Amino acid sequence: MESDIKLAFDILAFTSVMVLIVLGLGVIAGMMGIFNFAHGEFVLLGAYTLFVFHERALPLWLGIVAAPLVLALVGLVLERAVIGRFYANPIMAMLGTFATGLVIREVIRGLLGGHYKAIPEPASGVISFGGVDFPVWRAVIIGTTTIVILASWFFLARTSMGLRIRGALENPMLARACGISTARLYTITFAFGSALAGLAGALIVPLYGLSADIGIRFLVQAFLSVMLGGVGSFQGPVLGASLVGGMAAGLPWLVYPVLADPLVFIIALAIVKFRPQGLIGKGRL
Amino acid sequence: MFKQSSRVRHSQSIDRRQLLRGSAALTAAGWIGGLAGGFLLRPEWAHAEGPIKMGIATDITGPIAPGGNANWQVAQYAVEQINLSGGILGRPIELYLEDTASDPKIAVGNVRKLIQEHKVDVVLGGITSAMRQAIKDPIVNRGRTLYIYPQLYEGQECTKYLFCTGPTPAQQCDELIPYLIKKLGKKRFAMPSANYVWPQLLNKYAHKVIEANGGEVVFEEYYPLDQLEYSATVNKIRDGKVDCVFNTVIPPGLQPFCKQLYESGFQKNGGILSCVYFDENLLNYVPAQEMEGLYTCLDYFQALDDSFDRNLQAGYAKKFPDTKFPFTAGSAATGMYRGVKFYEAAVKTTGGKLGREEVAAAMDAGKLENGPGGPAEMVPGKMHCKMNMYVAVCRLEGDKTKYEVISKAAMVDPKEC
Repeated sequence: MESDIKLAFDILAFTSVMVLIVLGLGVIAGMMGIFNFAHGEFVLLGAYTLFVFHERALPLWLGIVAAPLVLALVGLVLERAVIGRFYANPIMAMLGTFATGLVIREVIRGLLGGHYKAIPEPASGVISFGGVDFPVWRAVIIGTTTIVILASWFFLARTSMGLRIRGALENPMLARACGISTARLYTITFAFGSALAGLAGALIVPLYGLSADIGIRFLVQAFLSVMLGGVGSFQGPVLGASLVGGMAAGLPWLVYPVLADPLVFIIALAIVKFRPQGLIGKGRL
Repeated sequence: MFKQSSRVRHSQSIDRRQLLRGSAALTAAGWIGGLAGGFLLRPEWAHAEGPIKMGIATDITGPIAPGGNANWQVAQYAVEQINLSGGILGRPIELYLEDTASDPKIAVGNVRKLIQEHKVDVVLGGITSAMRQAIKDPIVNRGRTLYIYPQLYEGQECTKYLFCTGPTPAQQCDELIPYLIKKLGKKRFAMPSANYVWPQLLNKYAHKVIEANGGEVVFEEYYPLDQLEYSATVNKIRDGKVDCVFNTVIPPGLQPFCKQLYESGFQKNGGILSCVYFDENLLNYVPAQEMEGLYTCLDYFQALDDSFDRNLQAGYAKKFPDTKFPFTAGSAATGMYRGVKFYEAAVKTTGGKLGREEVAAAMDAGKLENGPGGPAEMVPGKMHCKMNMYVAVCRLEGDKTKYEVISKAAMVDPKEC
């Protein structure tokens, strides 16, 4: 019983990490039709922001708040400078974001000297609940992820800004004819997706340690999640990430760990084979 | 790209400032993604017969860069010491660097440059076993050159003209495991491991030593190198009543594993974590409280307090102030230092002859009175060396970690070949 609760908590915690990372990618891919290959590096930059706060002995909580703001700014500048030129050509956009990510990653690698850095959790220790210990920081991640999902969904589905974003996506010509500045909305959406990546990076780095490749390690699984969930909706990637994260954490309990990794892909690809549009089809937000 | 080699080549002599500038440029080169032209350090004076050419092939860029850069710095330091004291029988050493870029495919081409273009007399380097396997053929067989491999590794490398100067599984396990079992009373071992050659062969040896000493291996399991989630493993450790984890999971999997193990209360409940590649540098990779009480066994620790090791640390710190690449055992720094000194001693024995046969024969009987961690001595015919091994435990001082050396075994046999 006790170990079942622990198992459920561990899987939930890892799933939350996965969802948190995929959310920003899914928002940008779903809303703008662009696969952001620099997403992993945005996560890295969020993590690096927290590292800078740690180095300067500033409060870590402040770093967690600062990371999404810093990344929103980075996203804003990048969209204006680079990404905005590629909307007509998504393949070029992929290459553009890939190159951007490469530059970010190698610069950070240089700054770190190739080393890993340990960053402490802003809140460490365990809470005991009915005789079972739950690590505080993993609980914080689960809580934050839930809040972020709800808030993002509310923002995109229930506010007028969200409506305009969806409208601009659905039919940019018509949106422009209605007097909506689509260029501005794209910038906002991209900055929003980047901010989510930044938050994810800052939240997960105490668990995994900072290295230049922290984002890359999640990226392939993140893309798989988006494919699995379906591009074009908000719920799709969240569902996809939950599935991929749950399988990645759960399968090592059942099979040899070396088999778990490929098995996640095989199962996910099998699902995509039978539901090419993803688990949730297009535009039902 | 970079024109470092030409810039250095034009200078008459190397002073400290130039070296600093060189190493700064080197770090910068790591950012850009590789050393296109290699790197050359000329000695300050010439000799009628020309310099002795020493080639360093190591990972200046890529994931293994922290180790590779430490290796290159140690080589520079050791060679500078030799040149300052008059070279080898009056002949200075000239140092050539080629970046193996953490990538065996790139490495093979670059190593060939050392052999064919620069015609070096000896090559030192390689950190991972994959790298050693890739470059040993171009060096030893096709290149007909002596090769010295400096890293602690899984053993079983018995190629003629290839000398290993780092610790082997026997050297790392023969002291540590009996200590864990007999002195600390730990009996039930778990072996979580990264899925590649070093953990597999090390575990095979460790398994035997554990059982020979009355311990028991509860499970031995292999993970993809970048696995991020270890709740299943930690659960097995708890359910199996494991009291000693013999870990060979490496970064990036290491950090989440250590955290989940710590969160499960393993150490709090009396469990012991041991890890034989863990040097002072690695301690920075994991939060301090998770490292408290970690046991390791290496050929050198910065905490060693004899005059030779103190001078070594001081000299290295003076040459590379505030370096990101400290002199530690895990990054092959000790093996590199030993390798350079073994070569020096061998050439002295041959009376300055640099032919591979003569030098290899002299190396085979090589003895170093002093080195990092103490003396070292080649085991004749075995291409591996005896060295002192130390068991150390990680202590917490405030929020900083520190190794305390708790036992020393003198001149441990590598038991290879």
